[in-house]
Amino acid sequence: MVKIIGASVTSFGPRPDQSITSMAIEAGLSAMRDANADYADVGAGFFSNALGAKLFGDMTIGQNVFAELGLNRIPVVNTENACTSGSTAFYLAQLCIAAGQSDLALVIGSEKMCVPQMGLIDSGANELETLLGMVTPAGFAMRAQRHMHEYGTTPEQMAAVTVKSRQHAALNPLAQFRKPETLSMVLDSPMIADPLTRSQCCPIADGAAALLLASDDYAAGLDRTVRLDAAVLSSGSYENGADIGRWETDSRTAALAYEQAGIGPEELDLVECHDAFTIAEIVHYEGLGLCGPGEGGALVESGATSLGGRIPVNVSGGLLSRGHPVAATGIAQIAELVLQLRQEAGSRQVENCRTGLAHCMGGDRKGDTKSCTVVVLSR
Amino acid sequence: MSTASEETTTNHSDLPPVADGIFAVSAEDPNRFELVGGHCQRCDDYSFPRSMHCCHCRAETDEHSLGSDGNIYSLAVVRIKPPLGLPRPYAVAYIDLEAVPLRVFCLLDPVQCEDAVIGAGVRLSVGPLGVNNAGQDCLRPFFKLIAENEDN
Repeated sequence: MVKIIGASVTSFGPRPDQSITSMAIEAGLSAMRDANADYADVGAGFFSNALGAKLFGDMTIGQNVFAELGLNRIPVVNTENACTSGSTAFYLAQLCIAAGQSDLALVIGSEKMCVPQMGLIDSGANELETLLGMVTPAGFAMRAQRHMHEYGTTPEQMAAVTVKSRQHAALNPLAQFRKPETLSMVLDSPMIADPLTRSQCCPIADGAAALLLASDDYAAGLDRTVRLDAAVLSSGSYENGADIGRWETDSRTAALAYEQAGIGPEELDLVECHDAFTIAEIVHYEGLGLCGPGEGGALVESGATSLGGRIPVNVSGGLLSRGHPVAATGIAQIAELVLQLRQEAGSRQVENCRTGLAHCMGGDRKGDTKSCTVVVLSR
Repeated sequence: MSTASEETTTNHSDLPPVADGIFAVSAEDPNRFELVGGHCQRCDDYSFPRSMHCCHCRAETDEHSLGSDGNIYSLAVVRIKPPLGLPRPYAVAYIDLEAVPLRVFCLLDPVQCEDAVIGAGVRLSVGPLGVNNAGQDCLRPFFKLIAENEDN
């Protein structure tokens, strides 16, 4: 059994005076303080960053970060797995603890994107899809068009995801976009890729997040610990005839996580999912089994996924409003669950929550994702 | 930067393709282009771009024509500042090909952005469109809508 005993998220958004390393250190120090843990007990470090090599020419940043924290000599692993870079680092860290290789493992993800050289995110400069104009908003716009065509999902239903997201983010002091937006404001914002308007696309951001994982033995006697019930990392199917109205990789990965945790989606109290675009959240509702195929638009419209609803989704504000510093996101999602399960989430607390799920995905290949993670936590 | 595209098999032949081996002049009709991908004879499975090895049996694939025509499965008109010197707006789509059972990602003719819809019939064209990663003008494949009165 693996426990999470420390969690931290920095503020997300443009942070011009901060570097990848300085934000990572801020998050790492804060997670260690949160756990009140001894640095000498940390046996392994896992660090995620996705864009430092492309934007700044930086590599193996993790060793720089952990050395500044006084954590030298220990094994340090750097991960790059697109938007799941952070949750992949977490996945490796929990394997390390579960394998008995260490009693404590520190996971830190940090990203700096708010710089002039940051262009559109693609899936690799030399991939044919990129050369033929595939940019991330286009991939999700095609998914939205298909969902609308097959299920009658409406622009208003998609916009409702942003309205909910902004309402949640208003309660999160670390979120990037905290001002409310109405349906008409969302729909009237500039068109990015039909039917997705600017308010339906997550912003770029700077930020970092960290988690401290512990073995059951180490965590015994500690309070405020959260139990890891499932952690799954998968890649896409890349089948010919990609069915982009549904997301098989979502449902396949979630099914494995539910099996590991021994629960079904009806037993979840809250979800943090990869809402990079409004249509993504709707499709993920369906893939995670929160509703049936084609019912995602109606689900958000009903209020079921709002704070106080049947299954609140992205009460942190999600990628759309909390912000999306790529390699910090997967860790920040899990940190939000930790906060909620400890009942420490303040005005955005989900009442009586005991079980939460974090879902992340990253990269594009043949109409599928390159990477998907699902984590289930409970208290 | 190219903002208009014209079907041609002879003009612009001095421009490099955006990637090698992804399209060719049709062997049956020199006025048409066809996509070129991979085919596994053992599994009868097609790929675009060509996978060098079949993902099912790992045998080496053969280069294979994928035909010229298809139907739009889904599409997106991209209105933000485009990459690679593409025009603004430009459109991309998944196309279900007619000649082989394969769904491919490709550009649509940017001048037809506002007219393309799911289910529409399209035919491959090739022309100067944007630049490659070296910043040079280049040829890209893109699908044009088939007019109702256009014969085969």
